[in-house]
Amino acid sequence: MCGIPSKQIDDPLRTSRPGEKDPHGVELEMQPLPAVGFLTDATICIGCKACEVACKQWNQLPADSQTTRFEMTGFSYDNTIDLGATTWRHVAFVERPSRDGIAWLMLSDVCKHCVHAGCLDACPTGAIIRTEFGGVVIQDDVCNGCGYCVPACPFGVPQLSDADGGSHKCTLCYDRLRGGLAPACAAACPTGSIRFGAVEELRGVGRERVATLRAQGLNDARLYGDDELGGSGGIGGLNAMFVLNGPPDAFNLPARPRLPRLNIVPSAAATFVAAAGYCLVAAFSFRRRV
Amino acid sequence: MTPQERPRTTNSSEAPSQRGYYDIPVIHGPHWKWLVIGYFYFGGMAGASAVIAAFLRLLGGKSGAPLARIATYVSFLALIPCPVLLILDLGRPARFFHMLRTFRVTSPMSVGTWGLATFGGISALAAGLQLLDDRSAIRGECPGGVRRAVGAGFSLLGGLSGFFVAGYTGVLLAATAVPLWSKRPALLGPLFLSSAMTSGAAAISAVASISEREESGAHGQLRSLETLSTVTEASLLVMWIAALGPTAKPIVEGRLGAVARHGAVGAGMALPLTIAALSPYLPQRLRRPASVVSAALTLAGVFAVRYAVVMGGRQSADDPSATFDMTG
Repeated sequence: MCGIPSKQIDDPLRTSRPGEKDPHGVELEMQPLPAVGFLTDATICIGCKACEVACKQWNQLPADSQTTRFEMTGFSYDNTIDLGATTWRHVAFVERPSRDGIAWLMLSDVCKHCVHAGCLDACPTGAIIRTEFGGVVIQDDVCNGCGYCVPACPFGVPQLSDADGGSHKCTLCYDRLRGGLAPACAAACPTGSIRFGAVEELRGVGRERVATLRAQGLNDARLYGDDELGGSGGIGGLNAMFVLNGPPDAFNLPARPRLPRLNIVPSAAATFVAAAGYCLVAAFSFRRRV
Repeated sequence: MTPQERPRTTNSSEAPSQRGYYDIPVIHGPHWKWLVIGYFYFGGMAGASAVIAAFLRLLGGKSGAPLARIATYVSFLALIPCPVLLILDLGRPARFFHMLRTFRVTSPMSVGTWGLATFGGISALAAGLQLLDDRSAIRGECPGGVRRAVGAGFSLLGGLSGFFVAGYTGVLLAATAVPLWSKRPALLGPLFLSSAMTSGAAAISAVASISEREESGAHGQLRSLETLSTVTEASLLVMWIAALGPTAKPIVEGRLGAVARHGAVGAGMALPLTIAALSPYLPQRLRRPASVVSAALTLAGVFAVRYAVVMGGRQSADDPSATFDMTG
């Protein structure tokens, strides 16, 4: 069969063969792009919130709610409080007791763009997709606001909007990526706390950074987003990673989250067994009396 | 959770907690409330009633047929509100049909949509067939053997898809990050199935007690199924809560705890079981009203279970320590 696996020949959608070029010498087969993502470093963040503002401006996101009064967490400048339908970058101000009162540790939180994403698994409409850049995007024109992605996310990222009923979250600035631009938050970050690039590259950078921090005596430094920490339990790692200077739960991040869909098999199997039990009981009890 | 409901910490003097961030939830809870609770209730009842209709038609012999007829109608009537409740719960109800543009095995909601659609078709056809049969419309044209075979075929299909509709909702809740729902997935699915079966048996039994002139042998069997299912449901509920440990807090303590203890277990399980146990000692004329009361209490109890589980899940999602305990 000319050395080409028959599976490829049989594929009715295949119009080209590996390595085949068009008359201009351009390869016809599309190569998968390397996944891109973020490395957000809490040890460099100064809490300026340029990322929040840039995100809101580019994505035209309004203030969180017109109806609630203006509030902040603790003694901080954190007025957005949590990721949500209209806040896709959220700078947390982690306050810790220190000699002079309170010390701040900032972290710009964002959608983790999981390698295996709970929201994507759960979406019953196909609105949530994996883009060619490796990010996870909710297509607003498809989403019908069922809300299942909201509790299916182990990190509490997507949220239903009161204004339009749909679910919303960070798109990894899909429109900017299509135009060859870096995501708005990374472009706006003045300190380099938010780095944008190929995930594999960023993972190496993150590990190196953690090693450097530890060498400097910051023994709490760790990388959040590999399959040990943050991207655990079937999630397979995160495309948006974090360098943390403390345990993940201090930043409201779960240390070892689990992919929710892994519960389907045990739950469905047990339910099936229960159904079989009911059939068995019925077969005995309804039959006894003729 | 809408932004308005989101727990907020204002400028307070409380000390920063080492674990978590000002008690802001780690995960986002679902927006599901009454509409979804109502769907879980009626959907479970519809699916389970179809299962019981199949039991009665295929195994119940002669005295099973009148009850199977009631079960078929109960199943269809309980099904009618389901799509309405589900569509109204959507953030964008006009786009409900977007559910039907894909099939995704990793999403219990997607699989459930197709399962419910299949079940709906079968249930409607079965009810229509039953109606024709009742009005003797096809009796003349169609030989009895063919009618029985078609009826048996529909019962089987209805029973299988009914089991699915009665059981998948527990799996749907288990496949989330909500601690209360996801910690013990192998118990939540069977709990939902058995509470559905309990409600189906109770609904059919109540209708039969009111409408049937004479108590048939199959009705007695149906009552024992109701009792057995209530006992199973109660055991699964207790096992589930015990296995959850501290994660069960929302449905053990506070208002929801009271609903679970007094509503679900007390009024919905213990009381009907007591009535069932005392029924043989009651005078003949009181047995039937007692059975209706018992079935009504059982139905209320099943609703309390669904209410406590769904609302408890929302509280569980809002509790950061519950999430941290699971994801340590």
